Amino acid sequence: MTAPPTGPLLGGELPEAALEPGTAAELAAVADEPGLGRRALTSLRRDPVALISVLAVVILALIAVFAPLLAPHNPLQAYPNGLSSDGAPVGPGSSFLLGTDPNGRDVLSRLIYGARVSLLVGVVATGLASAIGVLVGGIAGYAGGIVDTVLMRITDVVLSFPILLFCVALIAITGPSTRNVMLVIAFGYWTYLARIVRGLVLSLKEREFVVAARTLGVGHRAILRRHILPHLIPAIIVYSTLGIATSILIEASLSYLGIGVPLPQASWGQMISQGQEYFQTAPWLLIAPGVALILTVLAFNLAGDWLTDLLDPETSGDRR
Amino acid sequence: MTDPVHAHSVAPSVAAAPAAPAPAAPPAVDVRDLAVHFKVHRGLVSAQTVKAVDGVSFSIAAGETLGLAGESGSGKSTVARTLVRINRPTAGSVLLAGAETARLSGQQLRAYRRRMQMVYQDPYDSLDPKMTIKDAIGEGLIVRGVPRAGRKAEVEELLARVNLPVALAGRYPGQLSGGQRQRVSIARALAVSPEVIVCDEAVAALDVSIRAQVLNLLKDIQADAGVSYLFISHDLSTLRFMADRIAIMYVGRLVEYGTSEEVFSQPAHPYTQALMAAVPDIVNLGGPRPAPLPGEPPNPASPPSGCAFHPRCPLAVELCRTVAPPLVRKASGQLAACHVVPDAPEVTP
Amino acid sequence: MADVITVEHLTVAFPAKEGTGEVVRDVSLAIGAGERVGLVGESGSGKSLTARAIMRLIPRPGAITGGTVRFEGAELAPKSAPKWRGTKLAMITQDPLSSLNPLVKIGTQITEMLRYHRRLSRSEASAKAQELLRSVGIPDPRRTMTRYPAVLSGGMRQRVALAIAISCDPRLLIADEPTTALDVTVQAQVLTLLERMTAEHGSAVLLISHDLGVVGNFCDRLLVMYAGRIVESGPTAQVIGDPAHPYTRALIASIPSLQGELPDRLASIAGSPPAGGAHAAGCAFAPRCPLAREVCRRADPALEKIQSSSRTVPGDSHQAACHAIGDDTWNQAA
Repeated sequence: MTAPPTGPLLGGELPEAALEPGTAAELAAVADEPGLGRRALTSLRRDPVALISVLAVVILALIAVFAPLLAPHNPLQAYPNGLSSDGAPVGPGSSFLLGTDPNGRDVLSRLIYGARVSLLVGVVATGLASAIGVLVGGIAGYAGGIVDTVLMRITDVVLSFPILLFCVALIAITGPSTRNVMLVIAFGYWTYLARIVRGLVLSLKEREFVVAARTLGVGHRAILRRHILPHLIPAIIVYSTLGIATSILIEASLSYLGIGVPLPQASWGQMISQGQEYFQTAPWLLIAPGVALILTVLAFNLAGDWLTDLLDPETSGDRR
Repeated sequence: MTDPVHAHSVAPSVAAAPAAPAPAAPPAVDVRDLAVHFKVHRGLVSAQTVKAVDGVSFSIAAGETLGLAGESGSGKSTVARTLVRINRPTAGSVLLAGAETARLSGQQLRAYRRRMQMVYQDPYDSLDPKMTIKDAIGEGLIVRGVPRAGRKAEVEELLARVNLPVALAGRYPGQLSGGQRQRVSIARALAVSPEVIVCDEAVAALDVSIRAQVLNLLKDIQADAGVSYLFISHDLSTLRFMADRIAIMYVGRLVEYGTSEEVFSQPAHPYTQALMAAVPDIVNLGGPRPAPLPGEPPNPASPPSGCAFHPRCPLAVELCRTVAPPLVRKASGQLAACHVVPDAPEVTP
Repeated sequence: MADVITVEHLTVAFPAKEGTGEVVRDVSLAIGAGERVGLVGESGSGKSLTARAIMRLIPRPGAITGGTVRFEGAELAPKSAPKWRGTKLAMITQDPLSSLNPLVKIGTQITEMLRYHRRLSRSEASAKAQELLRSVGIPDPRRTMTRYPAVLSGGMRQRVALAIAISCDPRLLIADEPTTALDVTVQAQVLTLLERMTAEHGSAVLLISHDLGVVGNFCDRLLVMYAGRIVESGPTAQVIGDPAHPYTRALIASIPSLQGELPDRLASIAGSPPAGGAHAAGCAFAPRCPLAREVCRRADPALEKIQSSSRTVPGDSHQAACHAIGDDTWNQAA
């Protein structure tokens, strides 16, 4: 073998320093990734549509929570000066900013309290639906076999009904009330999340880190809690956000049909139903709740889209 | 001549073969006639049995490394996964320090799991991306029953043992390199204090310059803690460095089994010889290269009759097509399953 | 005679938040007719992207931001790609399912090439295709022509991919990790086949791999890449037998071998290869280099010829990019 071409070191053995992993070099290689909060703010700054919709959702929540403070009048009260001399509803004016309804009640206040109803029903119904969906889908996916088959057939049966019809049928049995509306929507909506969750759990079960946990000796309950559930959360959040929009719409539809939130409590659905009749003479009765409903559902849908984009990269987890 | 320690009922394809000389204490792992068959459903009614592992026997002494080599369809990964009970053995026995474990279930299975751990091939998927490093390693500590108070210190100790800076404990796997992740996997396996660690192609997915780090680390841990390794690899050069003894698999069966030195200096089975000749080595550049082995590793769902290697074997004779050869001691010292290669004098006088 | 491929100061960059995003930096190489050149490196080395740059196939949003690629003296433009891609310059990759259309029969894929580029009739193309399949060792070519790529094994698919690539007698065949996903005995077959086919068709080969053994046994010349740059180049025997760059030396020392002395420990390199595109000033290997000094962190070394006592063939020089080259006084005290 020829003599080494350059100085003594390059020709000899590599010094010891090269033989062990250097901690400085190791740490330098690992970058700090921005946290979820920071990423959320950055993406909101870049996307004005998402920003507006998220703000809208927040404002709506605030309106719903602080309704008693914000509503200028009592929404259930029929005001004598709310009706004109010939008993017709009064249009938007100084005392009733959005006018009154045929009973002399303040539209604005009813709108605000209606927001409360919509949001309450939306959140509770969706929360309940998510809980049921995750439970059913999770058990079906993880247990597999006959349990999976039975649970999924049940899910399919419920899914085969158009959700609104399903809810109408259930309300017919239970009778209309705010509480029943929430229950009924939950029983109609859980199936969507159940399917998603089952699919996710099926694929998660096969992931190497779950296999590794089993090999480690971790029990099923701990695996579900530590490894499966955290991976379901992004999907749950996304579907819940979209679910709220759907729930609000279903509640409005049921109330519109007269079998949802009962009078005299205010609900946008009822107000739309009522407003329909008076469209020629008192258009504000229809326009106000209609616009409110559209904007709310739109806001939740867009915010849900933004959340999907935000949480999606986290769903896959690793950064190569 | 049967070795008393390994006296057991034999499957028809394996004649009463003397196994490797029995060590004084029971070996850390003693696998006998392991068979793992899978049912593959074709169409609605018919099912086919795929014999991924078809009667494999080997043993690993405490603190020793057994290398298991083979190409696709050899069954080596199935052996690995069966040992840690990801798959269930169809037949045969797996003795851990002398105690039968192949049929365990429930609580006993949980106890067994701690004693035999695995490091996986994929450094990216074997760690939960949503768990911090300390939680991932901590999970092993929970299984071992370490109380919450002591966990932090133990995690730090384990990280130090695998030469990772403690600062990495709060990070997520996505922020680590492949080599670092593999070391975390090793730390997690060590957390339950296993007797045996199965390394299933543990360095195959790593960059070449990183492999050396991890291999050195594995050797250090073995010297330190006395764990035994079952090291699965398709790369013979790595096995030569890591393993004390080597087993070569072909379509579910062992074709050669002996000490690392015996097998590498004088491979007995023609398949082993072909494998070694096929490895592009940088030490002997420009030297004459033999013609490559023809054909491809067969599909275990439909293996050739007799000796599965006969369609590709340069030494094949008529007998090879019909009768599967037993694993017996050959003249060069190790065990091999071949009709043609001369046996050791005590086998066939 | 003009080299088949001349690459000069090639730079490929991807848009990046920090740093320049350059994943291939100032790479120059030349491949002569019939030559077998190897490009070896680990992840982040830029070897695959260099190959794709030659073929003008850099995936968006990356782009060639500097340097030129010339084929037989003339610059290659992406617009003229149908004229030379697949015919004068061909490529096979690690996963033949991505270069073979899984939805088109194998026979059709080959005959399509032949009919479009060579203007053969349907029957002529079919006969030639069968002949090609036979020459790459596919048993029963006629039947194979009617099948889809997915039913073939990995080794068979690579043979088909090779048949298609070589069908129009390319002047250069780029093979990007062609055997990485194959069993070692199949790998040996495919490499032997590659050797024979390229010799028969007179094609030069650029073989890219992370496996030093594969390129070492196949190629006449080797180029070692690290973090987007060529850090060592020269005749294979010299680069492997007498490596000059600390990275090459460490890499070779860290590979276990089937022959020779069995070490107790493998020499390893501290740290990890840098992720593509982000690096500080100076030599990219400095953080991991046992010989690193202040100058290494400041300035990126250029490729320098190594004065070796053995005969150096002009044009075949052994070069390395390291500040320590030629400096006899370089010692450890940094």
